[in-house]
Amino acid sequence: MAQLRLEHVDKIYDNKVQAVFDFNLDVKDGELIVLVGPSGCGKSTTLRMIAGLEDISRGHLYLDGKNITQTPAKDRDMAMVFQNYALYGHMTVYENMAFSLTLRKEDPNVIHKKVLAAAEILDLTSQLNKKPSQLSGGQRQRVAMGRSIVRNPKVFLFDEPLSNLDAKLRGATRREILLLHKRLGATMLYVTHDQTEALTLADRIVCMSMGHVQQVGTPLELYDSPANLFVASFIGLPPMNFFDVTVAGAELRGKDFQVPLTEQEQKTLSAYQGKEITLGIRPENIVEGGSLSVKVFSNENLGMNTLVHGHLGAARITAKLRGWKSYRQNDVVNVSFQRKHFFDKQTTNAIGREQKA
Amino acid sequence: MNQEELLIKKDRMRFIKNKLPANLALLGILFDVFYFVSIYQSDVRDYYYTMMIGASILYNLVFMLACFLSSEGIKNYKGGFAWLLAGLGVGQIVRIFILPAQAHATELKKIGRVMGDRQYAFVVTCLAVSALCCLAAAAIGGYRSSVLKKYQASLETKSA
Repeated sequence: MAQLRLEHVDKIYDNKVQAVFDFNLDVKDGELIVLVGPSGCGKSTTLRMIAGLEDISRGHLYLDGKNITQTPAKDRDMAMVFQNYALYGHMTVYENMAFSLTLRKEDPNVIHKKVLAAAEILDLTSQLNKKPSQLSGGQRQRVAMGRSIVRNPKVFLFDEPLSNLDAKLRGATRREILLLHKRLGATMLYVTHDQTEALTLADRIVCMSMGHVQQVGTPLELYDSPANLFVASFIGLPPMNFFDVTVAGAELRGKDFQVPLTEQEQKTLSAYQGKEITLGIRPENIVEGGSLSVKVFSNENLGMNTLVHGHLGAARITAKLRGWKSYRQNDVVNVSFQRKHFFDKQTTNAIGREQKA
Repeated sequence: MNQEELLIKKDRMRFIKNKLPANLALLGILFDVFYFVSIYQSDVRDYYYTMMIGASILYNLVFMLACFLSSEGIKNYKGGFAWLLAGLGVGQIVRIFILPAQAHATELKKIGRVMGDRQYAFVVTCLAVSALCCLAAAAIGGYRSSVLKKYQASLETKSA
């Protein structure tokens, strides 16, 4: 397998539009890295640069210590799985999977063994004689993956492979990819805009926005200690609640509400006394009972939890409360905040994250 | 080829189309086309306006259709089409002795021999090659189909 290193990689198009700014990443052998971010943040461009489908404008790309910045795509020993599967419609599953090896003029018997092994891994053995049009979306995506597996590449690249699948199938295929990663122990880079996919699949997540890397870390790090307001708002579902508050001694003062601070939190915010900051609270970190009054305007029952939407003073708030709740509009629920996140109003960076790290 | 390689080769047949005999059958059609493009050339126009020519044209159409269907059938290891291909191959040989041989043997007072030696050699070659292609396609296709059939039966026995 392989180690991949990107050093100060930029992508500037001919029309001078810069899509990727100073991208640095060290991918360890056998690691599954997920590039996540909203549409147009440069994640797919980065993946295409790694694959060799886009030129790297500045910076270097290393595979196992060898500089492959200028190496053509076909010589990079990487396999890419695309969102639209890119299967040959006139070929059977077997022929699709065998195609790249046939082009390399490998021994037909060796090709056969590799295709059958890949089909076994992906549970496609019974589908080998079918054409892609006879398969479901999930099966087609597995064929696309199988085509990559037979090549036994150093690095697997996935460009939003689950975007065309319905929610149920997406979950199942996601588990298959995870299983595949564990089974092959391969180095994988995976691009998605779906933060659930990122959190469930990744060993490490690279969160991007506007061509810049916002944070690199494990899913828990990104969820629990977001580096800035963007990461905090992007990771987590439902998204984090944000309030403009002022640090006032042992509490935070917002419009029509006060939030008490623990000693540790006061210490963290000591440099911000009297200043305005952004307070971030995840919906799941809000619990019933406390001094904060939320005026309900709707609630969604999810079974085990209930999403309560309401107002805290003038600010909108969403709370994920345990159990089946049946609040009505204008009911008042008293809540308290458990885990709080603080962000600098000017830089939008997380406050106190350095000390934690 | 050792036993394992032989087994893999058989197993591959489950997923790979039987392309060689299928392509041979198509080649049979191609040479038939060469034949009928050439056979109707003659300076003696009246000679060819006979019932025989009508039947020949009709047979060409039937041959091409049947040969193409057999090509597709044999590509998917359907053994029955091997018999059809064999029949078509024999038919091509028989055809040598009908129109070309007759035309070559016929001499008219005005212009002499209807079909010259060169043209005769060409059309006979075309029919012979077409026949060979069909017979080879039938033999290879038939053999492979039976091998695959046996192999699949053995797999079914194993799984049972």
